[in-house]
Amino acid sequence: MAPVVDQLQSRRFTLDAAHEAQEFYHSRGWSDGLPVVPPTPEAVAACLDWVGLPPDHLVGVEPVRQRAITAEKVAINAVMAGCLPMHMPVLVTAITAMLSEPFGVHGATASTGGSAILLVVNGPIRAEVGMTSTFNAAGPSDRATTVIGRAVRLVVMNLLDVRPGGIDRSTFGHPGKISFCVAEDEEHSPWLPLAAERLTPAGVDPAMAYDPATSAVTAMAAMAPRQIMNEWTTEPERILDTYVAEIRANMRHYSIWPGHYAIVIPPQLRAHFEAAGWSKADIRAYVFSRARIRREEWSEVGKGAVVGDKGDREYQALPDEDHLLVVAAGGPAGGFGLVIPPWLGPKSRAVTVPVGACVDC
Amino acid sequence: MTIDVLDPTHGEEHPELQPVDRLTSLDGLTVGIVSNGKQGTRPFFDAFERELRDTYGVAEVVRRTKTNYSAPADPEIMDEATEWSALVSGIGD
Repeated sequence: MAPVVDQLQSRRFTLDAAHEAQEFYHSRGWSDGLPVVPPTPEAVAACLDWVGLPPDHLVGVEPVRQRAITAEKVAINAVMAGCLPMHMPVLVTAITAMLSEPFGVHGATASTGGSAILLVVNGPIRAEVGMTSTFNAAGPSDRATTVIGRAVRLVVMNLLDVRPGGIDRSTFGHPGKISFCVAEDEEHSPWLPLAAERLTPAGVDPAMAYDPATSAVTAMAAMAPRQIMNEWTTEPERILDTYVAEIRANMRHYSIWPGHYAIVIPPQLRAHFEAAGWSKADIRAYVFSRARIRREEWSEVGKGAVVGDKGDREYQALPDEDHLLVVAAGGPAGGFGLVIPPWLGPKSRAVTVPVGACVDC
Repeated sequence: MTIDVLDPTHGEEHPELQPVDRLTSLDGLTVGIVSNGKQGTRPFFDAFERELRDTYGVAEVVRRTKTNYSAPADPEIMDEATEWSALVSGIGD
């Protein structure tokens, strides 16, 4: 069989010098505005070699516009984003999750609401590729999370044609649209990893059934993170009341519709939950029961015009307890927390895919 | 020294869709209107329907609403659309 570099099917361009690559890609609308690494055939082939996929391997098909995305095209965008070959397994998994029908990538990336694709990474692959889960966990904490999150955005732009003013109709968007990838801090957490909970069938104890050697990526259509703070209690209920207040604020100020919310809990607050013996399931149950508003509350925030005769109707943030994604991450000091609201309630579902899974094999 | 780089897009693999032949008249025809379901579509399509009937002589206007405004039209709507002479789809916020 021919070397991978000779199997590549994408158009090749010969530039007079390496430094011309920046303007070549920017001028064609093929970048997010940041510099790109020139995707040479050799660099792209190295990515495909690492992940063990032939160039024409079908990673997935976007369900609405039927755009097929091959491993070769993912690898090209990965190189441009700054990915190393070892980042490819996480990226391919993220793209697989994003393209699954429940995720609804077309609406989530085209909407005026302007969501980003949040990735939460679990399992041993985090350490293997150099992800960190502590300082600056939701921002540019390390090379791997930054470039993988960016590669997802470049794939959306270049392979789904989702560009600002084109299919991307975001009124504002948010900085997470550049890159939004968090590695869960499993090593310093008393809890099951997010993926363990989400990949374990209902009725089965994830603590018994989940293989800790599993790595996985969860994708969620996410609005900008909102930071909360409560350093003045050790009671789990009071800590969660602060998270719930932010969720309720989102329901009042942004969208009342139920969907996936993610909350990120740092070590300083996790210690209080651990001391009290609270599991992630306990947290989900508490938040589910309290993250609710009545429609009449909209009249307090300028939206009285649409309260109508439904003022007494109660709306819950979460359709059920499992719609809350509880993630352990963050630097060692600070009683902060993050609430990451959904793009738009039930229009997109969070999807978790194990690394190495083949959805159509 | 020259450098070879690759196209990160689908390039010319997906040629643009071609529009179907235009109708020369709407007189006596059936026209479907598919709304994305948002509130803003209602008054707009109400007025649009009147315009179709009063100005262009459309015989029947069929109004349908998608169940998910962020997804393609429901299969039942697309099946029904094969019976229409024209379809107008629009979004409203």
